[in-house]
Formats: sequence, C-alpha cells, structure tokens
Amino acid sequence: MGRNPGRASTRHPGRTIRRGTAGWLAILSFAGGAHAEELTDLDSLVEIHGFVSQGAIKSSDNNYLGDSERGSLEFTEVGLNFTKSLGPDLRVGFQVFARDIGPLGGYQPQLDWYYLDYRFADWLGVRAGRTKLPFGLYNENSDVDAARVPVLLPQSLYPLQNREVLLAQTGAELYGLLPLGGLGELEYRLYAGTIFLDAWNSSPQLRSFDVPYLVGGRLLWLPIDGLSIGGSIQKLRFEFDYTASQAEIDHYAGRGELPPDFNGRILARIPAWLWIGSLEYQVNDWQFALEYGRTYLEGKTNLLTPTVYSKSEGYYAMASYRVRPWFSPGFYYSLQRSDFETRTGISEFQHDVAISTRFDITPHWLFKLEAHAMYGTAALEPALNDVPDAKGLNRLEPHWAVFLAKTTAYF
Amino acid sequence: MPTSAARRSRSRRVLLSELAATALALLVPSRVRGETSAEFVVVVHPENPSESATREFLTDAFLKRTMRWGDGATITPVDLRADSRARKAFSERVLRRSVAAVRSYWQQRIFSGRGVPPPELDSDEAVLRYVSSRPGAVGYVSGGAKLDQARVLRVT
Repeated sequence: MGRNPGRASTRHPGRTIRRGTAGWLAILSFAGGAHAEELTDLDSLVEIHGFVSQGAIKSSDNNYLGDSERGSLEFTEVGLNFTKSLGPDLRVGFQVFARDIGPLGGYQPQLDWYYLDYRFADWLGVRAGRTKLPFGLYNENSDVDAARVPVLLPQSLYPLQNREVLLAQTGAELYGLLPLGGLGELEYRLYAGTIFLDAWNSSPQLRSFDVPYLVGGRLLWLPIDGLSIGGSIQKLRFEFDYTASQAEIDHYAGRGELPPDFNGRILARIPAWLWIGSLEYQVNDWQFALEYGRTYLEGKTNLLTPTVYSKSEGYYAMASYRVRPWFSPGFYYSLQRSDFETRTGISEFQHDVAISTRFDITPHWLFKLEAHAMYGTAALEPALNDVPDAKGLNRLEPHWAVFLAKTTAYF
Repeated sequence: MPTSAARRSRSRRVLLSELAATALALLVPSRVRGETSAEFVVVVHPENPSESATREFLTDAFLKRTMRWGDGATITPVDLRADSRARKAFSERVLRRSVAAVRSYWQQRIFSGRGVPPPELDSDEAVLRYVSSRPGAVGYVSGGAKLDQARVLRVT
C-alpha cells in the first residue's frame, strides 16, 4: 500500500482521499499532522492547513473596527497554507489569506507568508521570503484565532488596523535556540527586509506605501519550562502617498497648512522605531502574559505643518485558563496611550477591560464570546466616526462597550 | 456501634494500608522516569545508540525545537492521535502540557509558517512500524504494547 503514487489511498478520519496522478494535490494531510496508515507516504506529504473565521461585532457607542455601533458582520478571515519538507533541514511553504474587517481587507486574497527555511543546527536557521515578524509575543499569531482565548488580542500592542503594515516582512531572518546550561535556553530572531503593501487593500485613500528598510529582532530567555522573558525591537521607515478626503482638505485649509501647489495628495516620510518588553508563563492549563511597548514616530509631510514627533505606549496583563478541554475563559486589561505628548483628553488613551470565553465544540471548530468595557477613544479611527482627525475623537462617547462573537473552523 | 478498640484497630489497618501504598509508590519507578510506566513507553529505532534521554530533550524534540540526536542524526518525532490515553499521559508527564496546550502551540506555528507538528498515527502498531522504519524516529506507545520492532528509550 502506498508505494505506487498513482494508485495508493491515504486514510484520514472520516474520509478517504484517493490519490491520483496529479502530484502534490493528492498527498494531503490534515489537522495537526497525518492520521495516515500508509507510513511510507508520510515523508512525502504536503501539509495543508486552513481556517475560516466569521465574527460579529456590536458596540454601545462609537464605531470600532467597522460599523460596530449598528452591528457588523464584516469580520471574516480565511487562510489556507501549504508546507513541504524537502529533506530533514529544508522546508518551504506559503499561505493565502483574505479578510474583511470593516473597511479593511475587502476579501482581497494575498500571499500572507511564503518562505524557504533551512536549519543548519538548533542554534542557527535561516528563513528567506515573506515571513511573519516576531514582534512581541503574539504578533506572528495575531491571525491565529485557534491559538488563543480572546477574539481580539490586546489592541494596545496588537492593533488589527496595523496588520497589513507590521505583520510580515519580505527579506531574510536568522533564528536559533542557544542552550545556556542551567540557565535554560535563549531563543533569538533577527531579521531585515522591507514591507510590500497593497495600498488599496489597506485603505482606499492610500495611493502608495513603501518601507525602504526594516530591521529588528527578538530575544526570549526561557529559564524554565513555560516561562519566557524577553524583548523585541524594530526600526523602519514608512513613506506614503495619500489622497486626502474633502474633510481633511477643509481641515488643513482652515488651519492654513495647505501648500500653494497642493494637489490633493499628502506625501509623508516617517522613520519609526518600536520596542516591546515581554513576559509569559504557561503552566498546566494557565497562561499569563504581560507586555509593555513603545512606538516613536517622526512624521514629515508636504503640508505646511511642522515635523510631528509622536510617542505612544501600550501595555496589558492577560490571563486565561483551560477549565475543561472544551471551555476556556480569559481576561485582560489593556491600556493604549497614543501620541501622549501631543494629544489631550479622551483621544489620548484607551482603557480596555476584556472578558473572553472560548468553547471548543470539536477539535476543529470553536466559538468565542467576548465583552469589552472601554474608556477613552485613542484606538478609534476618525474616518469611521465621522470626525476629521484624532482631535475629533475627543467629541465621542468616552465610556463605551464592545461585544464580539466569533466562530472559527480550522484544520 | 463499634467499640473504641475496634475503631482503633480499623484506624491502624487504614494507616498501614496507606503506608503500604506510599511505600509501593516510592519503590515503583516514577512513570515519567521509566519505561515500566503502565501508560506509555518512549520508543526509538533499534539502532539508535541513545539509551536514555532527558525529559527536557524529549520536550524539545517533540516540539521540534531541537532537530538532532547526540550523534547528529535527524530526530523524527511521531505522535499518537490526540484522544489516546498514552498521548495524554506522555503530553502531561513529559511535555508538561495538556494535549490541548500542545495543539495550541502547533496552531501558532502552522499558521505563522514556523513549522508543522509530528504526524499523528492511529495505533501503537502504526507508531512502532513508523519508528522501526526510520533510524531517527522517536515515539511513544501504550505500556502494554509489544515492543519487538522498536527499543525502549529511558526517560531521565
């Protein structure tokens, strides 16, 4: 059995996949590996995994991530990935991803990640391609609903709006695990590259978006089983070409900040650097995480405005517990402070207290319910709330709530 | 109504049986330390030169954080299906994570492009055949499984 690729069949729970002559499409494995009995086939498998998520969001006031005040079902994510080992140390893979979250995504499929990964030794591997950025504990996994309890990761450090920008880079990465004897292990990730963004897919007003360079790294010390302590740092420069809305043009005209030759496009050049300090402890079915991060931006535009120096910070504390294999509640408190040296009022901060519940209905299907009590409006999008800029967020309701439901099937 | 002497006698019997149970538990090797565990034994290819491995090494091997045996051979871990008793026992005692936590770990890696989990096989026999056909393989099977195709690896 299984020695003739044109005839063999590979059995999976609940189904049999007939192997044809069509090559890789016929050698599937699902859901955490191969439940295959033809063992000789296992080494030649292409692993295929995927997920489909559908969520709903409703807020008491203010529009958050979409038309949430009215209630929105624009909360869809779909991903499908393929991974193939080409020998013991070489692996290739890619993932296609599409989403529709409020104004973001629009179901446009994109190559989310693709890579060629060669591992020379435990302490040194290299990955080239488009790879997820190891920034903080969860940036790489922010799409992976099945890997966490909350629907929304703490938005102070993992904002959904930034997914297109800071989730993955195109370039190369070095990684490895260094033994430290009795002191545990040190995991390092170092990367350099750029970010290619489908500008329209991120925001219809963006005409182009470039990142001339991006460099960064993450160090995690793993002193004992389950404990991770470390930090991430990233330096990059954004350059974008943005078509201003009429409201924005009126706003800047009113302040006398439009240049005489203004053609409706705002050109910006923004060097930035970011860091996060991280602590995570997983013991038995408990998971605790604590992170603090800062972002520094320096914004120069073609408008008659002075260079803007922006500092923002965010932190959160999060805990979850698997009470039963099918039920896990979770909790976090998160605080975001945006432009805290220039903003004032409720648009400068956003406190977020979240309670989540996760129900694993089957090993491949889950359902989540989540409630947030918010104070402040720093994470709200002005355009979604009919205000011209961040200062307009001060006019919004300061105390508001968000309710989410989400279901994900994955294999 | 039992007399006080009868109650004392019964208390002594209970105490003695508890002591005996405790002594027995101390004399029998820890489940995680020995291949004598009733719930699982760790198995490797018969030609694998390793006699034993630490729990930490096996954790790194099954989570694919380490890729090589001491002699440089590539480690090829294999799991039993998620609902098997041996998988549950191995996961909790060696990996020190529940099966659900391990699945969550692999979900993170699968969907961020950082790796795929070991294959999951349906039976002890399938694991033994897998291990016996790959020099670098390591797996685990129920304590009662017949081990004529693979060799037991002692967990230290």
